[in-house]
Amino acid sequence: MTFTITQSLTEFGVQLQARLARFSDSGEITDLDETAFDQMARSLFGLQYQANSAYRAWSDSRGVTPGSLRHWRQIPLVPTAAFKEVDLTCFDSSASTRCFHSSGTTTQRPSRHWHHSESLGLYRESLAAWFRYHLFAEEEPSDESSRWESDGRIAIISLTPPAEAVPHSSLAYMIATVMERFGASDSLSIGTLDSLGNWVLDTDRLLFALRRSLCSNRPILLVGTAFNFVHFLDLAEERNLRYRLAVGSRLMETGGYKGRSRVLDPEILHSELSRRLGIPRTHVITEYGMCELSSQAYSHRVGEASGAGNQFPPWTRIRVLSPETGAEVQDGEIGVLGVLDLANTWSVLGVQTGDLAIRNGTRFRLVGRVPQTEPRGCSLLTA
Amino acid sequence: MQLPTLPNLFLADLPPEAALTPALVRDACISVKRNRAQWLLRRRTQEMVDLVAYNADRWLQPDFSFRRLALQVGSTEMGFSPPTMARGLDAFFRQLTHDHLQGWLVQDLGEARRLDEFAAPPSELRHGRLALARGPELLAQVAAGNLPSSTLLLMVAGLLLRSGQFIKCSQHASVIPRLFAHSLAELEPKLGSCLELATWPGGHVDLESALFGEADCLVAHGGNDTVEDIQRRVPSTCRLLSYGHRLSFAFIGAEMLGTYLARKVAERAAHDVAAWNQQGCLSPHVLYVEDSGTLAPDGFAALLAEALAKQETLEPRGPLSPSESASIDQRRGLHQLRAAHHQALHRDAITVPRGPFFEAPSAETQVWASDGSTAWTVVYEADPSFRSSCLNRFIYVKPCRNLGDALRRAEVVRGQVSTVGLAASEGRAQELALDLARWGVSRVCPLGRMQEPPLAWRHDGRPALGELVRWTDWEQ
Repeated sequence: MTFTITQSLTEFGVQLQARLARFSDSGEITDLDETAFDQMARSLFGLQYQANSAYRAWSDSRGVTPGSLRHWRQIPLVPTAAFKEVDLTCFDSSASTRCFHSSGTTTQRPSRHWHHSESLGLYRESLAAWFRYHLFAEEEPSDESSRWESDGRIAIISLTPPAEAVPHSSLAYMIATVMERFGASDSLSIGTLDSLGNWVLDTDRLLFALRRSLCSNRPILLVGTAFNFVHFLDLAEERNLRYRLAVGSRLMETGGYKGRSRVLDPEILHSELSRRLGIPRTHVITEYGMCELSSQAYSHRVGEASGAGNQFPPWTRIRVLSPETGAEVQDGEIGVLGVLDLANTWSVLGVQTGDLAIRNGTRFRLVGRVPQTEPRGCSLLTA
Repeated sequence: MQLPTLPNLFLADLPPEAALTPALVRDACISVKRNRAQWLLRRRTQEMVDLVAYNADRWLQPDFSFRRLALQVGSTEMGFSPPTMARGLDAFFRQLTHDHLQGWLVQDLGEARRLDEFAAPPSELRHGRLALARGPELLAQVAAGNLPSSTLLLMVAGLLLRSGQFIKCSQHASVIPRLFAHSLAELEPKLGSCLELATWPGGHVDLESALFGEADCLVAHGGNDTVEDIQRRVPSTCRLLSYGHRLSFAFIGAEMLGTYLARKVAERAAHDVAAWNQQGCLSPHVLYVEDSGTLAPDGFAALLAEALAKQETLEPRGPLSPSESASIDQRRGLHQLRAAHHQALHRDAITVPRGPFFEAPSAETQVWASDGSTAWTVVYEADPSFRSSCLNRFIYVKPCRNLGDALRRAEVVRGQVSTVGLAASEGRAQELALDLARWGVSRVCPLGRMQEPPLAWRHDGRPALGELVRWTDWEQ
């Protein structure tokens, strides 16, 4: 199927969603080659330029209009900090049903990414397709998957609070979506909130869930943020806990500490988790996502070796730009990571993250956050 | 890093694979103290003044080998272009004249001979009082991580006081202090033996304990966390003088914004923004511009942008690390977005933004920036609240009604302000300086000289030399 130039964002969304659904089922995408992506991205830019006044103002200031655009690489990227400042939406506020906020300290204004039913539909389809591709990579039902529930589902244990408790978390929404689509009936989110609204681990429930999985010898999928898992490791250290979870168990860690625990080098975090839980290193997957995007990147597929770098799905492109000159860096060089995400149909497709990355072809390795991504004053001012 | 043409005189000269141990640090301290007792303690103040001034004069010669090396490695190791480094070094070494050194001794000690013998100014003599000042036996220094000037200044103070010295440099800023120490050792090897320099990652407890245990006075520069951490670890036998982070801003009076003067003022401001790539505590973060002048504050910002562009051709900023560049890039992006949004709202005459989710950024923003690089950035914000800059030649210009208004906006950094660069008519300057002093600023200077404090300046409002000495009073 080729892409037909759409007249409306709704039409664009419908076409894209159909492609995502096909990808989710087949694990393959044949109709999003470079030409098709370029066509779709430019078409989407044109539609967003019309519908999104803040993006239009930004693009104008960069000298880019739909008329002048020749290639998707010219599409202006909006810094994530912009989501704190202006409405980057293409629909009327009366239609909005949900708003995802960036996490962070409560004193800062968070990024806000508005959604309505159509944009959420795209978000769900995009996240589920790429999640499935990485977390359930086995093509044939193997011995290990036969131990899953009879319907082929795995129990997903999330260390985050449930989506109802944290309606502004795009991560919790993502986890709720994958539980609904791929999780067994006993999947659950065991995180809670403390009186300040911080995410905390309900350790009793976690240990109970782990024990139950061990007793029934059923594999589980553990999901959580880096700080969730550090809290777990601290607990395991304190109580001298070590598990050998059922074969086929896997783990997805999504970055981010936000000052909520000590920070571990990712290598150490993953090997420690692997050691404490008895999950092979090939089954410990890192996810990279943010509320400003509708697609995520993963470190590797279950069962494969990690190390090549994170990868976003075929309906996105990355750009790693030299912060000094704005030009694309060469492979192996450091730059600021930008993402063009077609699934951001209803907001803004080009986003410049606050992360430094090393480019490796279409993949990237994270190097760190850009220091002081917004003018909130030096440490003196917050002291 | 190793400087191939220099002999291994100091611990900092050793190759990186030579690991330091606490015993090595302790031994070094002990031999510095021994050498000091033998070679330095009995020397006269005048000799030391002569020596320092002579050496400074050498540093000002363009073909002086250590200077040439400093300009070369300064750009590779520290990211300062040779002209930026040259300007910074010249500003420092030009201060080290006989006259200024004598003046510093008199200012801080009351009498220049007081390090040699019992002496007193007439006001004390009248009451039959004399006094002798003694410098520390071993003056230790945990040097600042960014600029060499405060480290060098303290080394000069230590020389005048005939103290043995141990300078713990930060890993990225050891080159200039080392070259300075080598230049002294070249003049007088015995003097070199009374100095020691080393680098190690900050907070290395074992090495620092060895140093703190041997020193009787420690001067620590650094962030508040660093300084507090050191405070907890210094034994009672060692006196700690700490200098935390400070920041600076400038104030430009309306009377300076006439057509001719405004351009001069902008050039002076550009000079201050470019000096040491804005990295010192004395570099401005914000320029407050009075809004009642012939030229409006945003017009001044445009002039400043021109001046910074010109400055860049004369004195390039030099390369930055990816994270420093990215920091500028992100901040620029945010302000450019605000500017674009504001402009669009203004152009489309939309009083209420169509998205109801946010209050629109109401304050006007304009951005001027170097093309194709992050070399310099001027951000004009109508919102007058104080903002700290991400530095490396990134400056905010903000309007204010008057100085009182500016100070209210800067309340958030009150008590942490080192210098205010002032551009105002002579008639007003005294009153403004008084207001700034009462508000708590520790130094007021003309715009254009913010990064060039005089030798005898009171660092963070404290007498740098005076703080180091201990006194013996003799009542005759």
